Amino acid sequence: MDITWEDGKKSTYTGEQLRWACPCAECRGEAGAPGRLDRVKELAAAELQIKDVQLIGQYALQIAFESGHATGLYTFSLLRHLND
Amino acid sequence: MTAPSSQQVLDVLATITDPDLGRDVVSLGMIKELEVDAQGKVSFTFELTTPACPVRDRFKTQAQDLVSDLPGVTGVDVRMTANVRPAFMRPKPSDILPGVKQTIAVASGKGGVGKSTVAVNLAAALRKSGAEVGLLDADIYGPSVPAMTGSRAMPEQVNGRIRPIEAHGLKLMSFGNLVPGDQPTIYRGPMVGKAIEAMMVQVDWGVLDYLVIDLPPGTGDASLTLAQAVPLTGVAIVCTPQDVATDIAIKALQMFRRLNVTPLGLIENMSWYVCPSCGHRHEIFSHGGAEAAAKRLGVPFLGAIPLEQEIRQDADSGTPVVISRPESAGAQAFTHIASQVAARTSIQSFRQLPVINVH
Repeated sequence: MDITWEDGKKSTYTGEQLRWACPCAECRGEAGAPGRLDRVKELAAAELQIKDVQLIGQYALQIAFESGHATGLYTFSLLRHLND
Repeated sequence: MTAPSSQQVLDVLATITDPDLGRDVVSLGMIKELEVDAQGKVSFTFELTTPACPVRDRFKTQAQDLVSDLPGVTGVDVRMTANVRPAFMRPKPSDILPGVKQTIAVASGKGGVGKSTVAVNLAAALRKSGAEVGLLDADIYGPSVPAMTGSRAMPEQVNGRIRPIEAHGLKLMSFGNLVPGDQPTIYRGPMVGKAIEAMMVQVDWGVLDYLVIDLPPGTGDASLTLAQAVPLTGVAIVCTPQDVATDIAIKALQMFRRLNVTPLGLIENMSWYVCPSCGHRHEIFSHGGAEAAAKRLGVPFLGAIPLEQEIRQDADSGTPVVISRPESAGAQAFTHIASQVAARTSIQSFRQLPVINVH
């Protein structure tokens, strides 16, 4: 996935990088409990393949993976910092 | 004397700068259908980005004077029109508000500051300027728009889609039209979100220049759903002048900033009161609090509205004051604010947004 930002900067992301950065509660954990990405060491190929990207308002992208996982809302500031 | 060339006419018109967009009106593509005949008669269309343009008259006079001063010009005919440009190109076709060019949310931190009155009059003022306008009442628990616009009818359904109610030239939809009379809406948070989404997806809004959205007070479910479901052009925040109200209005503004929704600015309601018997001006809730807060936050101050009995009376009787008493101080304040809001939304149409490619 490529993003060309408002200031002209370009960022490129792989599905694998985005999957491991998923900010959702299931992956990250909540209320002190560890999330799925804290527990697993490897993810299957279908987990790393981007299927669809939806714009959420004006602040985030919802990225759906081939495995069906789609609960992560990646804010633009998260995406920007990911590759800085 | 020979008539000037089209290029000469464009060159003088290019000295007019749009104060909000910060560029000249020729490179912004506002000059259209330019014709210069052999006798030196010049005619063109001046296409504004909003019919509520605050500098409409100044632009017309400037254009007329500049072109008349060119050697060889015998007459100038300027046709003023407007074409509202969509704020954001959607990445793909969406079933949410496909024909709506600009979405303007009206929000507040606290309740009771006159947010619905502002939303109704803002919509009515934009409509009076000539724009196609809708008004969505997203206040599920306390819908006020039906009463303020005198439209308590049940909406019709056509082919499984809901037709908005038409009143005062506006297209309206409110939960108050769906839940009759004094029946309360008793919803938990997630249902509020669903209800607001339904009012956007299931209602046939058609083609609109502006959809004004009257939000409930606070920074909860309704605001969040809206900021997620549609790319909002921006949000106008209403507050009263006293500290206790501006402090909370700032929280609302910061919430929208976090969600990347552009603050169009702050509006001060109930700013002053002129006593009808003595003519003295009273500042019951203090004065200038919103302007000071806007300055502190670096957002535009959109204007102040007086506390007038007529605004309240007309809201209660179902006709917005900008329609019933256009000459009153209150109506003029709303009209001024509407043109400021329109100018701020136009700026959004010219923003260079991030481009996302997936491959």
